[in-house]
Amino acid sequence: MSMDKVQIPWTDSDGKPGFWGALHSLPRRVYHSVFRSRPIPANDLERSQAVAANFFFHLHSAKVQERTLRFKTTLGLGLLSLYTFVILVVTGILLMFYYVPTPVEAYDRMLDLRGAVFFGTFLRNLHRWSAHAMVGLVFLHLMRVFLTGAHKAPREFNWMVGIVLFLLTLLLSFTGYLLPWDQLAFWAIVVGTSIASYAPVVGDELRYVLLGGDSVGAEALLRFYVLHVAVLPVVLTTLIGLHFWRIRKDGGLAKPREK
Amino acid sequence: MTTANLNPERATEAVEGRRTFISWITAGALVLSAGLMGIFNLIFLRPRVTYGPPSKFRVGKPDGYSSGAEVVFPAARVVVRRRGDEFAAISLVCTHLGCVVNPTDSGFDCPCHGSKYDSAGNVVAGPAPKRLSWYRIAQAPNGELEVDKRKEVDSGTYLEVKA
Amino acid sequence: MLEDKPTYERFPIRPGKTYGLMCVVPTATEATKIETEKQVHAWPAALTRELALFVLTLVILSVVALLFNAPLEEPASRLHPPNPAKAPWYFLGLQEMVAYSAFWGGIGIPGLLVLLALAAPYLERKPGGEGVWFHSSRSAANWVFLGIVGTLLVLTAIGTFFRGENWAFVVPW
Repeated sequence: MSMDKVQIPWTDSDGKPGFWGALHSLPRRVYHSVFRSRPIPANDLERSQAVAANFFFHLHSAKVQERTLRFKTTLGLGLLSLYTFVILVVTGILLMFYYVPTPVEAYDRMLDLRGAVFFGTFLRNLHRWSAHAMVGLVFLHLMRVFLTGAHKAPREFNWMVGIVLFLLTLLLSFTGYLLPWDQLAFWAIVVGTSIASYAPVVGDELRYVLLGGDSVGAEALLRFYVLHVAVLPVVLTTLIGLHFWRIRKDGGLAKPREK
Repeated sequence: MTTANLNPERATEAVEGRRTFISWITAGALVLSAGLMGIFNLIFLRPRVTYGPPSKFRVGKPDGYSSGAEVVFPAARVVVRRRGDEFAAISLVCTHLGCVVNPTDSGFDCPCHGSKYDSAGNVVAGPAPKRLSWYRIAQAPNGELEVDKRKEVDSGTYLEVKA
Repeated sequence: MLEDKPTYERFPIRPGKTYGLMCVVPTATEATKIETEKQVHAWPAALTRELALFVLTLVILSVVALLFNAPLEEPASRLHPPNPAKAPWYFLGLQEMVAYSAFWGGIGIPGLLVLLALAAPYLERKPGGEGVWFHSSRSAANWVFLGIVGTLLVLTAIGTFFRGENWAFVVPW
């Protein structure tokens, strides 16, 4: 199958670009240096290319089973979990610009966010409610996967990754809970970390390392902050990547057996 | 020899044995150093100095307490009690999950999970697994009382102070 | 496959490359004769749906964020524990169990549940019922699962609504 000769747009009929020709085609050259497909694909091959040649889209296969797109199949819960996480990352990074993880400053910064920072209240609210939503959605997603039998072979490993992702979500939410340094935060963490000390053998040591001392104080706030904004998000993002990659490697969403 | 260097499949048995041996040594060294690195990082995370309140602190002269007084030191989460000429320091940290208990007429109540203690700190009700700690109380050279939260004593241990 | 002829320059067009996406066939593959499932192109079918779902998520959460302020109580004070002191709602089931026994409620039972969850696909080995909601061949597993979830929900509800001062049982109305 021979390709038709395509006229490269910045050449004249002799194949030599003139100055104006080159200038005229500059936007096009720049566009094609970035994107390898047209903005609106015209045929099936281009549609496939649009997905396969795009860094962000290539999580998808070029074609997907129609079944997986039906709302009933997944209720969209996995995607919803991802979206709340994306919102949390964006709002969280913005909030970091104003937050100071010390007992002296933290609470005042909360008040500043509420009173003095433009858009501050909204971003904090969005971060807070998205966090609650994410915990709920991730759990609903877990329920969906189990109730549709999607955890069974060959998807056992991805199910386990999912369980770890759920636990990480809880940990992220829990570490973030302390940061406003108000009564609600403080005592929830006092109670929560004391539970850790009941773990056999390593319990007391675990609590000591987690809090950086014997009680919830400046060290604990700093540690929870680092866990919340750096350690856990990086681990979570990495595992989300693994989770998505495994969906494809395990053959897409679980599908009913043929009769 | 050169082909064996480049292509493991053509290695002689002697070379193969040596290779396997070196592979195992290398893998072992890598695993060992990675493990040590992990352990060191864990030890790094365990603070050697803490920045919290000191464990030993003074609570004033014995004269400052009337007989039968119970004075709460909120920052230290300790109550100092005087009975006659005897003094004792009892922890206010619930042994269940670390909440601060409130002194009541009958003893101490925990607001978090409903544990109740009697006036000696023994568990009366609720999920608390053990009694409230009693700390050693001593008289410093200048006459002030000093509580040491590192040193626990048996419940009912009072320090007698001669007036 | 006239339709699949590229209509603009894609790159790299490398004649030496021996593999690549050359065309898209809608029918059974010649080699296997296995009928393909009903498939659609990810672009635009999946991507537009995903975008719509994201917009919907953002809109709903934004409306919630505009209507309800995130709680902020008094500054933290180790001297005045609130009564009752409650963990975040998703841990109130745990806290309720902790009120009975700190080890079993906080470590033992949650640890066992996590282990059980991790082991679930290895315990439920019999194939069948994948991709179907509440498949009849899996009803036992589903009932066990729903039983555990239901118990956790009840405990969470008790911890959230029915616990007052000193963790005493109260009726919210």
